[in-house]
Amino acid sequence: MSRVDVDRVSKRYGQVIALDQITLTFADGEFFGLLGPSGSGKTTLLRAIAGFVIPDRGTIAFDGEQVESVPVHRRGIGMVFQNYALFPHLTVADNIGFGLDVRHVDRSERDRRLHELLGLVRLAGYGGRRPRELSGGQQQRVALARALATRPRVLLLDEPLGALDRKLRQEMQVELREIQRETGVTTIFVTHDQEEALTLSDRIAIINEGRLVQVGAPVETYERPSSLFAAQFLGDANVFRGTVVDAHGVRLADGTVIRSALEAAPTAIVRPEKISVLPAGAPHHGNALDGEILQAVYSGASVTYRIRVTVLGDEPLLAFVQASSGDVLAPGRRVVAQWSPEQTVPLPQ
Amino acid sequence: MRRLSHAYLALVLAFLYLPILVMVIMAFNRSALYELPFTFDLVWFKALAGNERLLAASWNSIWIAACNAVIATFLGTLAAMAFARYVFRGKQLMQILLFPPITIPWLIIGTSMLIFFFWTGIGRGLHAILLGHVALSLPYVIVVVGARLQSFGPALEEAAATLGATPVQTFMRVTLPMIAPGVVAAGLFAFAVSFDQFVISYFLAPPGTSTLPVEIYTAIRKGFTPEINAVSSIIIVISMGLMLAVARNYRFGGE
Amino acid sequence: MALPPRQRVEVFALTAPAYLWLAATVFLPLVAMVYFSFLTAVPVGGRTASFTLAHYISFFTKPIYWFNAWRSIELGIYVTAISLLVGYPAALALSRHVKGRWREAIFLLIILPFWSNALVRTFSWTMVLRQPLNLLFTYPAIVIGLVHAYLPYAILTSYISLQAIDESLIEASRSLGATTLQTFFRIILPLSMPGVLAAIFLIFVPVIGSFMEPRILGGKDAIMLGPIIEGQFTAAFNWPLGAALSFMMLAIVLLMLALAAPLLRRQLGSS
Repeated sequence: MSRVDVDRVSKRYGQVIALDQITLTFADGEFFGLLGPSGSGKTTLLRAIAGFVIPDRGTIAFDGEQVESVPVHRRGIGMVFQNYALFPHLTVADNIGFGLDVRHVDRSERDRRLHELLGLVRLAGYGGRRPRELSGGQQQRVALARALATRPRVLLLDEPLGALDRKLRQEMQVELREIQRETGVTTIFVTHDQEEALTLSDRIAIINEGRLVQVGAPVETYERPSSLFAAQFLGDANVFRGTVVDAHGVRLADGTVIRSALEAAPTAIVRPEKISVLPAGAPHHGNALDGEILQAVYSGASVTYRIRVTVLGDEPLLAFVQASSGDVLAPGRRVVAQWSPEQTVPLPQ
Repeated sequence: MRRLSHAYLALVLAFLYLPILVMVIMAFNRSALYELPFTFDLVWFKALAGNERLLAASWNSIWIAACNAVIATFLGTLAAMAFARYVFRGKQLMQILLFPPITIPWLIIGTSMLIFFFWTGIGRGLHAILLGHVALSLPYVIVVVGARLQSFGPALEEAAATLGATPVQTFMRVTLPMIAPGVVAAGLFAFAVSFDQFVISYFLAPPGTSTLPVEIYTAIRKGFTPEINAVSSIIIVISMGLMLAVARNYRFGGE
Repeated sequence: MALPPRQRVEVFALTAPAYLWLAATVFLPLVAMVYFSFLTAVPVGGRTASFTLAHYISFFTKPIYWFNAWRSIELGIYVTAISLLVGYPAALALSRHVKGRWREAIFLLIILPFWSNALVRTFSWTMVLRQPLNLLFTYPAIVIGLVHAYLPYAILTSYISLQAIDESLIEASRSLGATTLQTFFRIILPLSMPGVLAAIFLIFVPVIGSFMEPRILGGKDAIMLGPIIEGQFTAAFNWPLGAALSFMMLAIVLLMLALAAPLLRRQLGSS
């Protein structure tokens, strides 16, 4: 179980900058999510830690020991690939035991470990099957068991749950977390699914265009995004721009002043779930904007409102409201959207 | 419309197979001059067994084809690995260089080999023929094995590396088993290319020794003996059988 | 893209054996042939040779050479055209009117003769052409023999490019009101041009260089560049002349390729 230090790692392919001075520390035993849009460089970073990508500049160290010049097969990592990369010509048992076989681990120890791992991923008895006989979820578990067999210092997961359907994904997310807690291995995983990143990680890093955008615990990153990109990539955001009038107020184009509990900045966001929607004329407090419902999408537990407000022009205000009463406000209805100053998040310059 | 198409295809197939069928049937005919009526006889096949020249040439052909298959498959597989798993400057150029052996008329390749070998002292002979055959087989091997390598990408080999396998271990335990069908197909292909090869063998064969196709050609030019018919029938059945085996192993059709 | 040193060594080790072999057996010999074509004789066994353009000049001045070069080109054109005229419809029939297992089976049947012994196949025609057709040792016999040999190539490349056409394109054409014939000329034919062009290259070039089929099937009528070049090496022992003629043949082939290249690029670029 290792700490991984990535220090000012850069990589370019021709004109394209894949990684730009990335500096990150992955703590020992941490479950860390790398989040970003396609092409952001998150997979490149993962592969650099694995050793498939050699950085142009910067260093990578496991527990202080530099590994850039160490070839992949000597780094002591475990990796689960996006399409699992199970060896089709080997049985499940031989797949899982592969890492042990190439190290010439003795027979009884290998069998013992196999038994242990099959139990860990709940596939006991499947040892004799071939990968093509297994379902997607089962293949994924085999891939995980195989990666863990050699007790790697670092476990790397490349979009591990991408190919699974929603229900299976959620089950696997829970299982993955359990297994990681049991084994305590430092785990770094890559995903473009922000919900997954938030659910699984101890900490997440948002990467865009090769650069580190924000690092932190899920709650903190979500509630206090440090940039517009982070705010809009991780969840939805209503963006307000205006001029700062005092320590906690921003004046918008039409004169309305938005209050924030934190120090004001010209750009601020408000998360849709923090907004409550009241019929026009109802008593309100905190920040309030008059508007008209453009669209109401009912999805059982919640309603998503798109509300036209003057200050945002063509861009509707987004509000997620719990459908506690079962009443849905119809399009055309005049409403007041309100939220408290604590929920206004000013973005740093 | 469909019927027309089917009929047309049948016609085309008939055209392609007619002469071959005639030849094979006539090989079993007693008449030496291909005259009907047809009387079944194995006389020419028996005569074949006594024909020293043809037998020696057949043995040369088989021996060369086998050596060619082994050498070309080995060299070609290595090169295919380089193309499929690495990106490097000059790769495109090297791939283009694979075209000349198969697109330049064999007449030119054969004669230029003759000139060069003569000048450098390699001379003519079975060894020279082998040199030439391998050169012709290489592009096919590289393409066939390369296609197989492409079909499963580098992910499996990367996985093996993350599990601690050295490059050699990865190749032996993962890559080789996966490309085995392609390698076998390429080997059979190379064997067939060499066994059937005429032009290059013709120029590089010294007087007195030759391969089977060259022997057949000489016999035809001199005014043939019916044994040629018999041996030709055998050859065509063998080469078609070989290619059938390749196709079964490798599954063309959508290729 | 530059590779790290270790990988550079690996790539070199993997490709060197094959390419060294090719260099020694194909590339260097071709260079040697060009060199010798400018000599009066091959400088072995005590003979001295001097530089001369005589062989090349004779190509242009002696009708036996340039006329027969033209005959070879003409043969190439005939064989290629006929192969395509016969083969393309067959490929069309196979790709559009045959389904399932039959398709693979028939495809295999078409390809099989192609990969069998060319000499033997040519020989088999001598039997059919002799009686009752009585066409042996005539020009048509050569054409028939060569078409028979290269027809599968035409079918193969046409079939591959026809297969590559997305079915939904044809359905879209239909939905927009095009008849079968219109769909063929406006959609299918243009999109399958790469296959046709590939066939032209793959057939035309070897046919120009053929000598075995003309000799066996054409007898006296087989005076073409191929047999003439062959004769220089086996009968006349005028290797430098043979080399020069070979190089001229190569030049003709390259010239035709160069002329066709822009056409090719345009076709390939559009599909």
